[in-house]
Amino acid sequence: MAEELVLDTAIRDWVLIPLSVVMVLIGVLRYFVSKLMRSPAASPSPDPKLVREGQVVIRARNLRTNAQFIPTKAFKARKVYYTNEENGLLHVPKEDAQKAQAAMFSDPNMAMDMMKKNLSMIVPQTLTFAWVNFFFSGFVAAKIPFPLTQRFRGMLQNGIDLSTVDVSYVSSRSWYFLNLFGLRGLFSLILGEENATDDAQKMMQMGGGFGFNPAMSLGAEKDSLDIIQHDWALPKMERHAEDVLKKLLKK
Amino acid sequence: MASGGVTSDDVPILQTENLTSNVKSIYYSRTFLSIIGGVVAGIWGFTGLTGFVFYFLIMMVASIGLLAKSKFSVQTYFDNWSRILIEGVFGGLMSFVLFWSYPLMI
Repeated sequence: MAEELVLDTAIRDWVLIPLSVVMVLIGVLRYFVSKLMRSPAASPSPDPKLVREGQVVIRARNLRTNAQFIPTKAFKARKVYYTNEENGLLHVPKEDAQKAQAAMFSDPNMAMDMMKKNLSMIVPQTLTFAWVNFFFSGFVAAKIPFPLTQRFRGMLQNGIDLSTVDVSYVSSRSWYFLNLFGLRGLFSLILGEENATDDAQKMMQMGGGFGFNPAMSLGAEKDSLDIIQHDWALPKMERHAEDVLKKLLKK
Repeated sequence: MASGGVTSDDVPILQTENLTSNVKSIYYSRTFLSIIGGVVAGIWGFTGLTGFVFYFLIMMVASIGLLAKSKFSVQTYFDNWSRILIEGVFGGLMSFVLFWSYPLMI
């Protein structure tokens, strides 16, 4: 069962190394392409209403994170200013929320931008996968350094219908997947933090970008402001400062 | 390794920017270590469980290093202990496996 297979060095030279090099280069290329596609998108002036709502959300978030530095009374006043049911800044009337959602779906520009973002992710991956499948399928390509159980056979050796080959020998398709996940760390090191792979996350955080639903983030911010437990930190600070000063005096 | 932003006292009040900067530097050092560790494990010819033990050993050494870098007061730089212990460990595992198998086939 666990006989040693000798892998041809030509496989290494013509399959594994080219595949890795291609995947690294594609990753770098995708990074620069997405950078190029992003810059012109920022220039058209955005809708002032959207910008205002984004700013309100940021202000409310600042209040929430720094709530412990202001007295309870001040915090309550600000909270009412934001979350009040009649004219609070974060309050969105029901009809407005529905309207905003409809507008977002009907706006072709926004959909295009999102499509572009997704395409720059999906297209290179699909192409590489098709390339690997077309040229390098049907043989054992590499040996991973640890044994796995029989269950992984379908995943790691698909394309090879031999039940006697040890599971640590993998096909080129599995080598592709190993590269896909393993190179992510390398990309974050060589391309810096503005990596295309975590672009989507950043878009979510910024909120001001495309595919941003103002009504929803306003509502979410309102809820989190509502449930916050206010605790004024400054009285504790005085005691802390006293401790530090005493410690300094002792020295 | 983990020279992030400057934080305030040892009261658990942290600036979010500084915290994210610190966490990011942990993440980078872990990724770097997992790649280098993978290459080293491959060159030394570890197979099977030994390699994974080696990986977690490296990560433990990294935790100790980070602890020393933060002058043994984790609360000054991070919001809780799990940051130093497990941040980036499982993300680096795939990189480790990949770079572990490179030297073995050459």
